[in-house]
Amino acid sequence: MRLAAVDYVLLVLYFAFVLGIGWRLRKRISSSGDFLMSGRSVPVWITSLAFIAANLGAVELIGMAASGAKYGIMTAHFYWLGAIPAMLFMGIFMMPFYYGSKARSVPEYLKLRFDEKSRAFNAFSFAVMTIFSSGISMYALGLLLQLVLGWSFTVSVLASAAIVLAYTFLGGLTSAIYNEVLQFFLIVIGFAPLAILSVQKAGGWHGIVARLPPNMTHAWSYMGSPTENPMGVELFGMVAGLGFVLSFGYWCTNFLVVQRAMAAESMSAARRTPLVGTLPKMFLPFIVIMPGIAAAALAKMNLGYHLPQNAAGGPDYTQALTTLMAQFYPSGILGLGMTGLMASFMSGMAGNVTAFNTVFTYDIYQSYIRPGADDHHYLTVGRVTTVFGVLLSILAAYVATRYNNIMDLLQLVFGCVNAPLFATFLLGMFWKRTTANGAFAGLTIGTGAAVLTLCTTVAEGKGGWIANLYQFPSQMAQNFWIAIIAFATCFVISVAVSMVTTPRTDKEMEGLVYGLTHVPHDATAKWYQRPAPLTAIVIVLLIILNIWFR
Amino acid sequence: MDLRVPSGWFFALAGLILVGWGLYAPDLHANFTTVNVNLYSGITMLVFGLFLLALAWRASRSGS
Repeated sequence: MRLAAVDYVLLVLYFAFVLGIGWRLRKRISSSGDFLMSGRSVPVWITSLAFIAANLGAVELIGMAASGAKYGIMTAHFYWLGAIPAMLFMGIFMMPFYYGSKARSVPEYLKLRFDEKSRAFNAFSFAVMTIFSSGISMYALGLLLQLVLGWSFTVSVLASAAIVLAYTFLGGLTSAIYNEVLQFFLIVIGFAPLAILSVQKAGGWHGIVARLPPNMTHAWSYMGSPTENPMGVELFGMVAGLGFVLSFGYWCTNFLVVQRAMAAESMSAARRTPLVGTLPKMFLPFIVIMPGIAAAALAKMNLGYHLPQNAAGGPDYTQALTTLMAQFYPSGILGLGMTGLMASFMSGMAGNVTAFNTVFTYDIYQSYIRPGADDHHYLTVGRVTTVFGVLLSILAAYVATRYNNIMDLLQLVFGCVNAPLFATFLLGMFWKRTTANGAFAGLTIGTGAAVLTLCTTVAEGKGGWIANLYQFPSQMAQNFWIAIIAFATCFVISVAVSMVTTPRTDKEMEGLVYGLTHVPHDATAKWYQRPAPLTAIVIVLLIILNIWFR
Repeated sequence: MDLRVPSGWFFALAGLILVGWGLYAPDLHANFTTVNVNLYSGITMLVFGLFLLALAWRASRSGS
């Protein structure tokens, strides 16, 4: 694939706007809160789009198209079964505690609700995870540009890191959020034509259904046993593992996304952030997954289109998206699509870096290294951490060159870190009897259980580094079950230890726990701004989509 | 800063470039396409950009 002059013009135009936004926002930064939390003043339509765009990086675009080509419409479970219900839960039930507690980060909430050790555990594991995610985004971008355009890996990585650093350093979280929204529009407008053209070429949805095996065009019908569907997952593993533990763990406790909602201008806006976000999120599968499914159908049509082979001799699904672009996009829109890809990788990076600098500055530096300094000092630390975060990400990108499957690696990291965490939050927010020692014991033993499960089970030749006690039918199934086991362990241990340790008094937990927190009822809000009607609309649409593609 | 302003300008400008390119090279097709993708995408982007600018303009008028 070669880019023409017009493609480069569009590319340069986009990045000029990105840097321009960072430059214009630099004057708004006068405190660490402005830099790391956007001064809690961002309008709700922006936080909502940023909430879903922060996750629209490497995982979604390349990974979702790849999964679409490999697994078919079942991939949509990541949205319709996983993300959407989790986002609704987050907005209705959890946001009042995050926003109302005045915590500046997810680890800080743990400190307020429990104690210092849970915060430290979460802050350190989150910091490591964000750096790796950011590094993986950078790695994937470098690899993609090398493969598709023949650009140098090192130059791509360093150039994208420099752009991300420039706009996050200048405008902090606000700049990252604003650019995420711009990138979101670009992704939708840049990739919708690809979805339309590729599905049309494959004969519409009916043509796709006719050409692919039925278990690739039905999301629910073949989930009775793992041997029937391409993902190799059974109904319980899917619903409990992906639908409940992994998705709720990610969307409700991952500070990267929670931070976007916490930047909203009021409690009501913060609650509406994930709720409003579900509406565009619900329809993203048509843009990010559908082209992958169409690619699988096109490969069966004797058009001369097929997926390139990977090193193992099988089809390289990760190239589904870019090979489609090469077949359907002439120069012009091609430049726009490539810009969209680059932008999504970069905003994935920026999202991680802005979450990392907040957690490092407030939860590690201010808590353990130098408490009690003036705010200006922490602003400087936040800025310096941004630089270090980007440098560490570059390092992580080179570490990632040793692993080849991006999505699986991310899932493993999320499985080990996020899954037990959701049990801790669920108990912490809704059961006031939960004690600090109970939470910490649950969190550490739950994470240990995740690692142990990974080390004693095997799937597709991976895992089982200590022993081979069980063989999963697919890596997907292994990931889901690791999450289920980690969650259950954390839940049981937290409850057991809490029962034999002393809880805090009600007075100390005001604003932190259900039943002791006043959730403001916004009587002046219009009906579509209230959580209940908004949620009802989303649930109806969600049910229709699930039935349609059953 | 109202984000609709820079977003609107970006999409309006990028849309204009694509429309211009689509009119200049109407026969430019990729392997599998027959329609003028650049022209239609450009028009969509231009309309979207102008829509964002119109919203921002309306908001700034009612705000001042």
